[in-house]
Amino acid sequence: MRVVFAITAKDLRQRLRDRSAWVIVFLAPVLISALMALAFQHNSEFRADLGVVDLDRGPAAAGLARALGGPQLAGTVRVRRYDDAGAARRAVDAGRVHAAIVVPEGFTASVRGGGASPVTVFDSVDFGLQAQLARAVTESYVAQVDADRLSVATAVAAGAPSRDVARLAAEAARLRLPEQARPRGLSDDPLKVISYFGPSMGMFFVLFTVGFGARGYFVERDQGTLDRIAAAPVGRGVLLVGKSLSAFVYSLAGLVSVTVVSWLAFGARWADPFGVAVLGVAMAVAVVCLTALVIALARSERQAEGLASITVFALALLGGNFVFAASSTPAIRRLALFTPNGWALRGFTDLGTGVRGWAAVGAPLLGIAAFCGAVVAVTAVLLRLRRPR
Amino acid sequence: MTAFAVTWATVLRTVRDRTALFFMVLLPVAIIVVLGVTIRGFDEFRVGLVPAGRPGPLAQELTSDLERAPGLRTRGYADAADARTALRRAELDAVVLVPAALDEEVRAGREVTVTVLVEPSGSTGHAAVSSVSAVVAAHAARLQAARFATEQAGGTFDGNLAVARRTGHTSVPVTVRTRTVDGQSEFLPLGYSYSTPTMLVLFVFINALGGGAAIVGTRGTGVYARALAAPVPTGALVLGETVAHLLLALVQSVVIVGVGAVAFGVGWGDPLAAAVLVALWALVGTGAGVLAGALARTPEQVHAVGPASGIVLGMLGGCMWPLVLVPGWLSTAGHAVPHAWAVDAWTTLLSHDGDLAAILPDLGVLAAFAAALLSLAALALRRRLTSVPAR
Repeated sequence: MRVVFAITAKDLRQRLRDRSAWVIVFLAPVLISALMALAFQHNSEFRADLGVVDLDRGPAAAGLARALGGPQLAGTVRVRRYDDAGAARRAVDAGRVHAAIVVPEGFTASVRGGGASPVTVFDSVDFGLQAQLARAVTESYVAQVDADRLSVATAVAAGAPSRDVARLAAEAARLRLPEQARPRGLSDDPLKVISYFGPSMGMFFVLFTVGFGARGYFVERDQGTLDRIAAAPVGRGVLLVGKSLSAFVYSLAGLVSVTVVSWLAFGARWADPFGVAVLGVAMAVAVVCLTALVIALARSERQAEGLASITVFALALLGGNFVFAASSTPAIRRLALFTPNGWALRGFTDLGTGVRGWAAVGAPLLGIAAFCGAVVAVTAVLLRLRRPR
Repeated sequence: MTAFAVTWATVLRTVRDRTALFFMVLLPVAIIVVLGVTIRGFDEFRVGLVPAGRPGPLAQELTSDLERAPGLRTRGYADAADARTALRRAELDAVVLVPAALDEEVRAGREVTVTVLVEPSGSTGHAAVSSVSAVVAAHAARLQAARFATEQAGGTFDGNLAVARRTGHTSVPVTVRTRTVDGQSEFLPLGYSYSTPTMLVLFVFINALGGGAAIVGTRGTGVYARALAAPVPTGALVLGETVAHLLLALVQSVVIVGVGAVAFGVGWGDPLAAAVLVALWALVGTGAGVLAGALARTPEQVHAVGPASGIVLGMLGGCMWPLVLVPGWLSTAGHAVPHAWAVDAWTTLLSHDGDLAAILPDLGVLAAFAAALLSLAALALRRRLTSVPAR
């Protein structure tokens, strides 16, 4: 074991003397996570500033304004009142409100069966969701109005005497829609941007360790260091374990640094520290396996460098390190499950939403284990094929 | 002529390097595809639909109404647990649970609640509930009419529901009309028209920075020292390397512009303005790449610092997200890097149909960045080649 640790310590010392190694595994992920945390610190909340113009001044229009200020939308919608449609239009154009609703003159009269004037929603192309919300609230309110009008018309069409329209309208006005949508909150924690992108960036940069390790192997081979070690009473297995251990420690240190900084400095939250630890260990094991695969595939330092770079970017791209997996299509989310980092990010997402223990990390650990198993099998086959006969 | 020989040698070496080609072409295109697919549909709420176990015709009708509703991007889930998990992972804004007994309850004259699951602290979910409510209300209007007609005129609920549907088609409801006031976006258009120009900015810069490693490598092998002994003027070496890196940056830009236009249907706006912008951005990248090649001690330093700093600058400059979304101070800080000016110029060209005159201020800043970086790069490389002959 002493020899294993000596090889590990030598490799780690060598790596840490290289300032670029510090940049890529410790500084860069922390810096990028910090940028993401700063950029999106207030972006988890959805807000809609809506203008309202009441040209009707009747009770029906007041009801619409009350619907916008209802408890369900408290904290989401902020209403500003304007005197005329021109002022509301200018406010939307200038970005002072995201959208504006103009209730026309005669709206209340139309509820009582008069001519139906349209309600207008002014919107802006950059605030599609806010415009959708303004339309939805208006349509919900108008739907009740239309339901009353439709009820009277249907009753008449079904045989009710048309001379009773006034009575029917009065009775219909007392009706309540028989179907209502009601929100119910989940009990889990909301996922913070930093809880996802902290580990995501940590993993992306830790994957570069594959390149460091593979290149280091070929440099030492070309310098004859490996032959000299082989001449000493040190088995190939000991050498392999020592070098793997250094890659493991280095990768794990990178992941630990970014998760700790994300937690302490930027408020990242995960439900289960043990889950975070095992995911970090699993990713570090995956990095070691990938390093071995690149060494088995490459024939020179240059090839190792190229293969490692391609591997890193392919895994990061598929695994969801560049884009928030939840915003992707289901197909891209499925593709992510062919990568260890994709599985780890799923684990971090679940931990970030309050899931604990095996429920959060069980499937990711199995997924990463399957990936590592496949990589080790391919590496073993390649090494056997390449062994001089 | 000597300078062009240096240019030719560097270009040839890069083109023969398959890894370099991966970073020049394949990787940017792959990221453009992933981002292009992801960055769209932001004007719709993502709603999971869990239909009733054995749905009756009314429940089926409500499900169809929700699926067809504009403003809702629905996805069906057979299992409520799966839908809850997707909601928890932020893959959805809300989940609609269509009640199993909806038909029976409505026919029995009782009120039905359609439960919409949301994240309690996220307000997007509550906004999504309003959109779902609008669809449910429109569906409920027909049910109310059928029930009212049955009470007032007799007949069966189903018969009067058919009458309500017919009447609904022929009557004139109060409509909600939309008028788009501000049609000029402050963002790039979504989809590939977003991902392609931003990744052009990001990758031409990162690739140019990475190209600096080749200069460091050539310094390390002593090629420059031997060339200077030939004798080749230092200026020819500096000019040759700079032109080579500029050519590579231009080729990469043209490939991305071409792939964007042909494969993803990206309209690049005014051709003259786009060409000037591409050329200036290539000059900015070239300056940064040659400067990195002059300053770094080892190729590994460039490989380690290049992508990391390229990504950080790209994020600051709005390549990963529009700067109008970030706090004001961060947007201002972002304009300290050239990327922000390039993305602003692309936004003017693609979203405002701008021309050369419209992006002149952005081009002016980019030209200043390019001039500063190229001057610094030329001075640094000349100094490195003359003062440390062996490196």
